[in-house]
Amino acid sequence: MLEVRDLSKSFGALAVTQRVSLRVAPGERRVLLGPNGAGKTTLFNLLVGELAPDSGLILVDGRDVTALSVDARARLGLARSYQKNNLFAGLTVHENLALSAACAQGKATALLADSHRDRGVVATVEEVAERVGLSELLDASVDTIPYGARRRLEVGLALASKPRILLMDEPTSGIGPGGINAFHAFLHGLPAELTILIVEHDMDLAFGIADRVTVLNHGEVVFDGPPQEARDSALIREIYLGSWGAEGGGHA
Amino acid sequence: MFHQTPLKTGAVLLLATAAVVYAFTTGFFGLELLTEVAILAIVAIALDLVAGYGGMVSLCHGALYGVGAYAFASATVLLGWGGGAGMAMAVAGGGAFAWLIGAVSARTHGIFFIMATLAFGQMAYAYFFDSPLFGGSDGMPGIARLDLSGAGLDLNDSRGYALFCTVLALLAYALAATLLRSGFGRTLVGIRANEPRMRALGLPVWRHKAAAFGTSGALAGLAGALAAQHTMYVSPGLLHWTVSGELLIMVILGGLGTLVGAVLGAGVLVFVKHEVARFTDHWHMVVGLVLIATVLSGGRGIFGQIEFLWGRRGARRPEPAATEGSPDHA
Repeated sequence: MLEVRDLSKSFGALAVTQRVSLRVAPGERRVLLGPNGAGKTTLFNLLVGELAPDSGLILVDGRDVTALSVDARARLGLARSYQKNNLFAGLTVHENLALSAACAQGKATALLADSHRDRGVVATVEEVAERVGLSELLDASVDTIPYGARRRLEVGLALASKPRILLMDEPTSGIGPGGINAFHAFLHGLPAELTILIVEHDMDLAFGIADRVTVLNHGEVVFDGPPQEARDSALIREIYLGSWGAEGGGHA
Repeated sequence: MFHQTPLKTGAVLLLATAAVVYAFTTGFFGLELLTEVAILAIVAIALDLVAGYGGMVSLCHGALYGVGAYAFASATVLLGWGGGAGMAMAVAGGGAFAWLIGAVSARTHGIFFIMATLAFGQMAYAYFFDSPLFGGSDGMPGIARLDLSGAGLDLNDSRGYALFCTVLALLAYALAATLLRSGFGRTLVGIRANEPRMRALGLPVWRHKAAAFGTSGALAGLAGALAAQHTMYVSPGLLHWTVSGELLIMVILGGLGTLVGAVLGAGVLVFVKHEVARFTDHWHMVVGLVLIATVLSGGRGIFGQIEFLWGRRGARRPEPAATEGSPDHA
């Protein structure tokens, strides 16, 4: 479904991604772990095309997409949510979701029909709003809704494009324990065939949802395997959990 | 997002009625002013479409307007085509030139976009200024107006022409409003709000921006054809960047991103210019002071301010419920 081969990226002397290889199966829930500065967000930027790699390949369904633009990759069904909310400011929740849904449903360039009242678009908007718990806030401006709601809309925007591969960058950051439980339920409600990559800091959540875990450190894949193995790995405890402790070294 | 609100519809109907009443009560001079307002309103609508709704602030709309005027003049005077074909030529010429500018400039933003449009506009100005084929700095005289005598309309009569231009301005408004409430317009507003996210959602953004700019240029070209027929003469001055600057002043004065404001701004500027000029040569100072007052009082412009106050009136009752969210979030 999604495959990465020997992907490398450096900013000057700083190697942020080093010979990363990944293979994510259709419908798989993959969690990316790693301390701050391990290159998780950079990897997402490379996957969706917001950054160009120095070397390596990115394949979607076996097709090389490394040279494709951001929008062309999105049209292949690759969608992402951002670590820092990246919404359409000044517009309502409905308008935000409709922009995404209309784009995916080919209504974004209709010259006469109002895409935001299109039946298919509205159905998607309502469905996604229900999933991310924003049904009550559809007519509210994104500038006035609470932070947690904006965080859910961030994921909703990606979801409304009906992707086949969904990349979520720390979707639960800053939303508190209640929000994390709700996110857990949300994830389990997603279609089984949807392939999901999540950058996550919350270890319990990560181990609870992951089919497989990939751990990055200093831009390198240092572990790739089932969550149970990750939990028991001394190496991970050292580089990942260790960096949380007071004695931890390699944080950026 | 654009909504053709009852307030907007009311304002358009009021302006249209005022124009028609004025046309039948004023003399030759007033009709000339009305014609000028109607023509400039079309370019201002075109400019608001891209600047107010697409976030593409342009300093080349004067040039697009001028290209339309020259296209009409060339088609009718040099090629001997009819007025209808000349108008089509103006629309196509303005549209094609604007699409090209949009396609090249779409990847730039903010001040760089403004500079790119300025450069394109001044290139066109310099071309017509130096081109012997189009009369160089002297321009082209001897342009005839469209012949609609078959329909019982005499466009050589200043009242007939003023009303003709008013009708076309109304049609331009309707076209822009239709486009803005369509999927195309919604997406354009999405690009203004967050262009990188729109791209991440799969939209080929530059193509959309170029198409919007091209459409705007086609409208500006139409206005240019009307201006050429109004004065029956075209000169390179039409393309000069100061014309683009004045168009921006109209749109900002009337209310950027309100569409009705573009029409209102054109009317206010033309009438202020002529009324104040009767008393003092320093009418630019008056316009400047009005503009400064507009910008300092929230930057909404005349119609933007009206919509703001109207919206506050309507929102007064449910306001306590709306504030329970988190007003502190930036």
